[in-house]
Amino acid sequence: MSWEKLPKMENSLPDFSKPSRQSSIAIGVILIKFIKITVRTFWPVLLSFFIGRKTGGSNFESMIGYVAIGIAALNLGGSIMTYFRFYFHLEKNAIVIDKGILKRSKVNIPFERIQTINFKQNILHQIFNVVSLEIDTAGAKKSEISIDALKKEDAIALRNYIISEKELLSNDNAETVEIESENLLEENILHLNPWDLIKVGISQNHLRSMALIFAFVFSTFNESNDFLRDFITDKFEQYESTVINNAVLPIVLLVITVLIISFLFSLVNSVLKFYELNLSINKKGLKLIRGLLNREEITISTNKIQIISWSTNPIRKMFSMFTMKISQASSTESSKKSNITVPGSYQHQIDKILKTVFSEALPDLEVEHHLSKLIKLRLMLFFGFVPLIVGGFIYYSRGLDLQVLMLLAFPFLSGVITELYYRKRSFQFNNEFLKNNAGIFGKSHELSQIHKIQAVRIKQSLYQKRKKLATVLLFTAAGQLKIPFIELEKANQLENFILYRVESDKREWM
Amino acid sequence: MTDQFQNLQVDLQTLPKIEEIVFTAIDKKYLKVSLLSSGLFFVVLAIGGVLMMYFNSEELKQNVYLPAALIYAFVLILNITLLKLGFKKKKYAVREKDIVYTKGLIWSVRTSIPFNRIQHAEIKQGPIERKFKLSSLKVFTAGGQSSDLVIPGLPSEKALELKDFVLGKTAEDGE
Repeated sequence: MSWEKLPKMENSLPDFSKPSRQSSIAIGVILIKFIKITVRTFWPVLLSFFIGRKTGGSNFESMIGYVAIGIAALNLGGSIMTYFRFYFHLEKNAIVIDKGILKRSKVNIPFERIQTINFKQNILHQIFNVVSLEIDTAGAKKSEISIDALKKEDAIALRNYIISEKELLSNDNAETVEIESENLLEENILHLNPWDLIKVGISQNHLRSMALIFAFVFSTFNESNDFLRDFITDKFEQYESTVINNAVLPIVLLVITVLIISFLFSLVNSVLKFYELNLSINKKGLKLIRGLLNREEITISTNKIQIISWSTNPIRKMFSMFTMKISQASSTESSKKSNITVPGSYQHQIDKILKTVFSEALPDLEVEHHLSKLIKLRLMLFFGFVPLIVGGFIYYSRGLDLQVLMLLAFPFLSGVITELYYRKRSFQFNNEFLKNNAGIFGKSHELSQIHKIQAVRIKQSLYQKRKKLATVLLFTAAGQLKIPFIELEKANQLENFILYRVESDKREWM
Repeated sequence: MTDQFQNLQVDLQTLPKIEEIVFTAIDKKYLKVSLLSSGLFFVVLAIGGVLMMYFNSEELKQNVYLPAALIYAFVLILNITLLKLGFKKKKYAVREKDIVYTKGLIWSVRTSIPFNRIQHAEIKQGPIERKFKLSSLKVFTAGGQSSDLVIPGLPSEKALELKDFVLGKTAEDGE
């Protein structure tokens, strides 16, 4: 329990009790971080500088060159200094970090406040076999601490030491030996082989990639300085007259190009993100390793897991794959990144996880309860008829033409989508579990244990009140589960049951 | 009732029924607190508006003055009405194992938190509330900010009593 025990635990473990610096690779890691920040803030200037030089440089531009060199030197100097001014060491039951050049800070994090310790590696880390450590703590505000580079063995030793000390703190008389041996039993659950990876890439949400690309292009265009904007609009204006003359072909070509780019984008993105993804299980929790250029390792202890969800889309369904998401209790609602997302999981792998985490496989749940049919009217009203009426008015004010008929697509499409949504939207529960089912073209499921619910909320709009309907919100420490538009009587019964179950359950929810 | 819940280990009819709770209204003085604080906002708004008109040109003044005043009056009356009607909806109940609060005129909301899921409870008091010797009780859970429960308009001693009771219950359940 005390500090003196440390050397016995692991012979090769370096002495963490004295303030020590990171691995010297950290200089490079910090430098990359600095350059990234600089480029992100100044890139329009840099870009226009390069374009400007092509068109013929002047004295003014060579001055910009010196400024650029100056910034680079500043970056290098800054990262070296940051490296030399960063110390960490372990004290009794706490890790201490002392850092900062101009603004010095000394942070002391007690082990019991540490939630998770995750590893990350970018290419530089991978070449030199070092990792960066991210320590997530249970604090209200920005409470994350990272060590940029540590030798991999040291990092693992450090993490193991902190975790076992933390364990000892929480249950004083625990048998250490047992914990240690159990820790070693690791079972591999899921590994994405190259073919799986390609399947995942193909079945990504390409529409989202398209939206991302558009968002990037537009924000770039907005942020870019006048010079660049003029440059681009100039180029485009030359084409404008031709575009207007034969509009159809370019538009078709444009659509195809955008589709191909989005497809490639999501393919490359998933290869980068999910390369050599590996999910394993041990007595204490789950461990996920993934990534090509940036490799990261995330661990979640089983008792912290609150919700497991899995979903599929039409393409992924053809490969009988699901995207599984494992959400853990987090102190801040924004720190969603410590959740595990596995895009290419098969049903038996999900079952295995469910069995490990919830200590029983997906049990017989009661019949699926559907929502009130009135939700269909509501959805069609909002997504079908409101656009129809608004669009109709706009056309009416500008003079009607045949194009107005296109508006009829709104009620039609919203009708189809609403019907699909309604058919798949349901919830199920039994004494232990609550499951939410949803989906329009795909399918998605969320599963949580009832005793992990923290609060129950029933909401009614004026319309719902008139129709004796209600929306139920169930809050867990990893987000909320929503059941909209069910009969009020049913909502009340559900709340009564959940409150009874939560209040009579003596198990820890975390 | 369309379809009943089946296969549960308990008989739903024997469970304490949330729909039968007798709720306690919050202190009447709280209506004054909310009227005063929104009144303050409207005074600031009016001063801002008058200043803007004062510094603007003559012709603009005549075109804008009447509609602006009308909208102002309309929003003011609407606000007061909503506050008055909404006040009646703010009620709470403390049961053996949980605390329940309801509110909302247009969107009615009822939140229940079991004592054994409460992380922390605190008492808050704004300057206007202090004048009326009222406090709010805020109850935190691990369910994140949106699940927190705030009961406003409690007499200060009552709020303190309630907080101690709730925290006592929470500690008891923790054993």
